[in-house]
Amino acid sequence: MTIKEKLKKILVEDLNLEDLSPEEIEDDAPLFGEGLGLDSLDAVELVVLVQKHFGVEIKDMEEGRPALQSVSSLAAFIENRLAA
Amino acid sequence: MSSVVPVAVTGMGCLCAAGADLPSCLETLFRGERHPQPPTRFGSGHPVRYPVFEVAARLPGDDRFSRTARLALAAAREALAAAALSPAELAGKRVGVCFGTTVGSAMNNEEFYRQFRDGEHPEMDAIERFLGSNPASVVAREYGLAGPCQTVVNACSSGTDAVGIAAAWIRSGICDIVLAGGADELCRVTYNGFISLMITDDTPVKPFDRRRKGLNLGEGAAVLVLESEEVRHQRSRPARAFVAGYGSACDAHHLTAPHPEGTGLKRALAEALTQSGTSPAEIAFVNAHGTGTPDNDRVESRVLAAVLPGVPFLSTKGYTGHTLGAAGAIEAAFTVACLERGEVPANAGFAEADPELPVTPVREATAVSGRLALSQSLAFGGNNAVVVFERGEP
Amino acid sequence: MTLRLAIQGVGAVGAFGSGTQALRQALCAGEVPVGTLQVPTAGGALELPAYRADTEPLEEFVPTRALRRIDHFSRLALLGGYLALQDAGRLEADRSRLGVVIATGYGAMQTTFAFLDSFLDGGDVCSSPTHFSNSVHNAAAANLSILLGATGPSLTVSQFELSVPTALLTARQWLAEGRVDAVLLGGVDELGAVLGYCWQRFFGVPDGLLRPLEIGRQSAIPGEGAAFFLLTREGEGGRHGLIEEVRQGNLGGRPLSFAAGSRLLLGADGHRDCSTLYGGSLPVDARAVSFSPLYGSLPVGPAFDLAVAALAAGDNRLFTPPPQGANGLPCALLGAGPFGEGALNCLKLGRHGDYGLISVVRG
Repeated sequence: MTIKEKLKKILVEDLNLEDLSPEEIEDDAPLFGEGLGLDSLDAVELVVLVQKHFGVEIKDMEEGRPALQSVSSLAAFIENRLAA
Repeated sequence: MSSVVPVAVTGMGCLCAAGADLPSCLETLFRGERHPQPPTRFGSGHPVRYPVFEVAARLPGDDRFSRTARLALAAAREALAAAALSPAELAGKRVGVCFGTTVGSAMNNEEFYRQFRDGEHPEMDAIERFLGSNPASVVAREYGLAGPCQTVVNACSSGTDAVGIAAAWIRSGICDIVLAGGADELCRVTYNGFISLMITDDTPVKPFDRRRKGLNLGEGAAVLVLESEEVRHQRSRPARAFVAGYGSACDAHHLTAPHPEGTGLKRALAEALTQSGTSPAEIAFVNAHGTGTPDNDRVESRVLAAVLPGVPFLSTKGYTGHTLGAAGAIEAAFTVACLERGEVPANAGFAEADPELPVTPVREATAVSGRLALSQSLAFGGNNAVVVFERGEP
Repeated sequence: MTLRLAIQGVGAVGAFGSGTQALRQALCAGEVPVGTLQVPTAGGALELPAYRADTEPLEEFVPTRALRRIDHFSRLALLGGYLALQDAGRLEADRSRLGVVIATGYGAMQTTFAFLDSFLDGGDVCSSPTHFSNSVHNAAAANLSILLGATGPSLTVSQFELSVPTALLTARQWLAEGRVDAVLLGGVDELGAVLGYCWQRFFGVPDGLLRPLEIGRQSAIPGEGAAFFLLTREGEGGRHGLIEEVRQGNLGGRPLSFAAGSRLLLGADGHRDCSTLYGGSLPVDARAVSFSPLYGSLPVGPAFDLAVAALAAGDNRLFTPPPQGANGLPCALLGAGPFGEGALNCLKLGRHGDYGLISVVRG
């Protein structure tokens, strides 16, 4: 499974987005506000899920905000950290 | 809602990281001193060590009671002594207890649960302790009190709500005296919880400051003895202050974030001011919630600027940390004490104004004149509570 | 304090199903299906008899998407709250002056343990903020206020078996002071494996038959659910009667006094220690009954007792008692008949002499 695929699975399963399947989530769709409609509580939950599933830490929301824009941006952030 | 009869405060007790009793706490506040440190009573797997405000004082009771219950007992003891209410004086009166807490009512004993999960069939001591440690019940039983007993679990506004509810019990005639307060202990579970929400600061908390990053947790307890005028005059006791008004309203917005316009806080303020028959200009100072989180301080300062322009305000959480269910009670005690003193301490942790915030807190100990002050709390879950105090006669 | 409260609506969910019709059906049948709770014990996994509640009917009121982070505890509260509003015909009413009060003995226990799981499993850095936020006792009230858009005051109270009567004191206060025009007040408690474990350690395994009036016998069966009320000041009609009096405190070693022939709806729920309290404190000329065989034993049992009393007042009928076991009280059983004049007193006796009394009369 690619990082993007894994992220989509995490979004659906761990954030309980029951009415969506992972395939339906577009790589570049905004996660917050319009798009998936996640909120600030989902954002911090995602930080923990990224730690749990990838061992990658997001230190604060300054770092987090750009990374959490979309599945693509988050996957890129994770890949970057794992390569370092 | 119309103006109501004020309810007297005849005694107070308080303990937190700033001191083992109210006079010691006030000394620390007016010296501008604080010593947040990483927790000593529990370990943590977090790579960063977040400062907390621990209570150093020895506590009454023993480990049949939770730490929260013992904090409550310590504050109650001081408050009753200050009000000159001996057991003999309490007997035969309708005395209620209303306490706020968060941890005190949580069945979250880690060791018990760990053993349970691991199939070790743990013994029941931790559960028996939990069942015997409801803070309001513990205080009521300790002093043989027969009036209504209520533990408020409204998260961060619990202590303020407890004071407001207790005043209503006196006013409505169902109690002669009420011990109103709050208590909460530091524990690993809440420590982990707040860190996971990314609203904690890894440096000492900076309420309203541009560089603020979040809260520091704290622990403690405070109790205010509220009394009916009839009983107070019978006992010839002075009123240190009066609970003049109380307001409470919900943002109905989000589980963890305040309403960006502070709508609930505005309603609670309006209600408390109306009930106390006060206009904003008459308020000498505000003890703000001021947790040091980016969201809270931004919203709260905007509401203060709009509703109470020109009124000095400060957060005392720079000295105590965020004591959750105890916060409203501790801050009520500080508000009364500052009214008596005619002075407020500096907002510890504030050094640099945030251009996003329309107002700044007091930077140094400041004289205040006026008979009225208010304390406000914004809770997790969106409840907002405000209490207005009026100075007692000298 | 003389303000009487009108009970405009009742909403309840428990082992009897959900809604007042389901509760009436259970009252007529005199029994409900008792489920089980799986509990790990030293002797292996155990199926403990338990009164389970299902929250699926909540989907009538709240879209699934809005419930994605809402746990069982909050769902029970939401369902109870919406049912009470529906019963009162106020689903569309303005909520700006609606207060919310929730009484709970143990709070959101399952989510509390789910939060502990998150860091016991993955280390402290894996603590789940969603579980933490939902584990605080006032999460249900917050979720209810948010979904309803209720911007009046919100209060959650936790006083074990006296949670409901003490919460009513504050609801009455708010209405008397004009802070609100209506209060949505409810009791909620849920079951879980940890509670089941503690239960069988303290009380052993129930045999499956709750016999509330058999004094000195341990027959309690754990239950879960929510019972909610839409309350207003008297004078706006009262579909389900009026709450005439609320008292809560400690007996201080003195017995409660009742008028001759008082009618009592007891919070006796099969716990041996508490049953002795009822056995010892009721006057011989009272008449008493318990309906706990229809919802089980839970700290907010008094909310269900009040629901039965409210339906009785509204329907003008005292319901036929469900099986009580052999009556060990000093007084006679309160049987079926018209509600008529006079109060039905819901009485809960707790540890250490604590008590709560809620008196209901016809409107």
